[in-house]
Amino acid sequence: MKSNMTRRNFLAGTGGVAAGITALGATPSKVFAGENTVKIGFLAALTGDAAGWGLPGLYGVEIWAEQVNAAGGIEMGGDKYRVEIISYDDEFDAIKATVGAKKLIFEDEVSIVLMLGITPVQAVKDFMTRNKMIVTTLVPTDISADAPYLFALSEVHPFYNVTAVDWIGRNMPNIKTAAIATQNDELGLSSQATYRAAFEVAGIEVIEENLFGFEVTDFAPVVSKLIAANPDVITWDTAYPDYVNLLTEQAYLQGYKGTIVNCTLDQYEHILGKTSKDFMEGFLWQFPDLDDPIMQGGDTHFDNAAAFYKTYSERYPGAWTAVSWEYAASLEMWKTAVGKAGTFDPPTVSDALRGLSPVPHAFGDAEWWGESFFGINSAALGKWPVVQMQNGKAVIVEMGDVRAWMDKHGDVLIKHFKALGVPTSA
Amino acid sequence: MFSRAGRNSAGIAVLLAVVCILPFIVRPYQLDFLIFMFINIILVVSYRLIAITGEFSLSHAVIMGVGGYASALLTLHLPISAWISMPLGGVAAALIAYILSFPLFRMKGFYFLIGSFAAAEAIRLCWVQFINPFGGYRGLRQIPVLEIDLGDFLYIDLGAPVPYYFFALIVGLIFLVIMYRIEHSRFGFVFHAVHHKDMLAQSVGVNARRYRTIAFVTGGFFAGIAGAMVAHYITAINPGLFGLKQMLFILVWVLVGGLGSFAGPILGVVVLSIIDESIRGLNELRPAFYGLILIITMLFLPDGLVSLPDKVMQGVNWLRKREDGDAPNRE
Repeated sequence: MKSNMTRRNFLAGTGGVAAGITALGATPSKVFAGENTVKIGFLAALTGDAAGWGLPGLYGVEIWAEQVNAAGGIEMGGDKYRVEIISYDDEFDAIKATVGAKKLIFEDEVSIVLMLGITPVQAVKDFMTRNKMIVTTLVPTDISADAPYLFALSEVHPFYNVTAVDWIGRNMPNIKTAAIATQNDELGLSSQATYRAAFEVAGIEVIEENLFGFEVTDFAPVVSKLIAANPDVITWDTAYPDYVNLLTEQAYLQGYKGTIVNCTLDQYEHILGKTSKDFMEGFLWQFPDLDDPIMQGGDTHFDNAAAFYKTYSERYPGAWTAVSWEYAASLEMWKTAVGKAGTFDPPTVSDALRGLSPVPHAFGDAEWWGESFFGINSAALGKWPVVQMQNGKAVIVEMGDVRAWMDKHGDVLIKHFKALGVPTSA
Repeated sequence: MFSRAGRNSAGIAVLLAVVCILPFIVRPYQLDFLIFMFINIILVVSYRLIAITGEFSLSHAVIMGVGGYASALLTLHLPISAWISMPLGGVAAALIAYILSFPLFRMKGFYFLIGSFAAAEAIRLCWVQFINPFGGYRGLRQIPVLEIDLGDFLYIDLGAPVPYYFFALIVGLIFLVIMYRIEHSRFGFVFHAVHHKDMLAQSVGVNARRYRTIAFVTGGFFAGIAGAMVAHYITAINPGLFGLKQMLFILVWVLVGGLGSFAGPILGVVVLSIIDESIRGLNELRPAFYGLILIITMLFLPDGLVSLPDKVMQGVNWLRKREDGDAPNRE
């Protein structure tokens, strides 16, 4: 059959589609004409290598905004304000983050900027401070005394990693040796220092470590080397989500029989499909599904956690990750501070945030912490769950107390931070 | 009627007038976008200077980073003004390019390409591994901005967007003129000769390797200055800024714009940057859409965007002829 598609027709059609998509992208997703609106900036990677820790967070923030708006919006000074999320893809790039920060602050006039951390945060940190803008990061090693408006509200990576190792130390006394593998970057190194400290405190000897570069695409040798040391427990530390998948799959293929403990296990249904339910049984990590019974009320502070999880899972099947709820959880805390401050003015809300005691963290009451490590108390540190794979489902087995661990063993952690060159003011 | 030269001069004058007015009418973040576009223009034109000798390097982004790191470290650790450190950053980048040229120009074609990538990775990994002085993955922060400080008489903080816009514009224009003159000098003709008629040029006594080295070092100098301009504007740099991703963007800008003419890479940067920014609202769909545009461009404009006016004129002429009934059927 002869095609009627000429080059001109093809171009015209493609051009039409392109124009349509562009127009779609240029159209604001939400318009609240005649209503009070508060704008929230989302400046994180939505494309590229780090998108796995940005895009799922944007989905979560949009669902949070829908829930808040459905409940009438945020109340402030007797008025209700609807929430509008404005995102900018920083591509995990310093230059894009710089451009995006200016757009969000000067053009969109947002009241808070949610960021992932590390490179983009380091790039805009001074600019945000000069403009007195509240910024949240998921990486507390970003915070420093010269950035008073930068907060680690919902995540205290890598410190919470101690809770799973602590749980292993108390519940699995047969585990005596450990091996660590992760990518050689700031996330990997700070997490490696934390696992080293946690294993030391738990009386577990680290017998093998492997820091691999971003050029590594074949993880078989990495895993072989670890398994050859015959460790009782392996950790992929804070490897990027794709790496965790590939490393775990390799451990399965190479017949590893021991325990695996890790920071994250994003989209675990996918990993279950690549390995087996038996192999994954007992896998320990740090990020729960929000429909877990422990997350419903009690000491936790994430409104409608189960409804949030349900909506998320229905709208984005199989996309639940460590960050799906975290940016939204930061907004929950910010909303509380706005209520106290009676304004959206960032410096005033920042003061109100610092005045929260206890800090209403998603996993329970927390306190401001960080001075001993970073010279400023800008991280909300409290409890953090230990999550275990049980019959193909994430289950919280314990709410570990990160704060108590840090108070008792902080010096051990500082020792390992310094040994690996992780920045700390201690 | 105006002559072609007259029309070109008038066009350049109008363009200059527009770019001088732009900072006062665009929004702050768009100003940043334009600043980085000017810096990228320097980068791609300096890359073309190397590419016209026939070798495609994958080290240009890292050479740019050498300039950025050198200038940043000088101002952070020594009492040196950024006005001095920036050209020194360019010199450092040229020096590294010169050192790299010894092993790299023993290779040609695909081997040169891979060799340049390996050399670049070695340098980038040094920035990652040696936390002191390079700051590791975290990089360097609080890099001093450019200032014009004449005491009570005059003070301009060039870290602010509008002054830096004009600084980047002026530096960019000067560099473009210099690179244009180089390409149209005897050196430039030899650069083209060693690309297109390598053996012939050598047979008449031209040392092809020497000229490739000159192009590589000269391009490296301008790239190094571009890196220093980034460092002293955003005041924070890290190895990720000068990685393979940036290098791929340089290649895409140059190839899509059109390597065959001086204006091609500039057009590539301008058009693709504007497209990329205007479709940012598409979020995760953006790379697919951007990729589609690249594929269409490569399919229908193999000589780059710079060939678009000629293609349009050809199309118009063909339509005119068809209306007159003497055009062959194109389908």
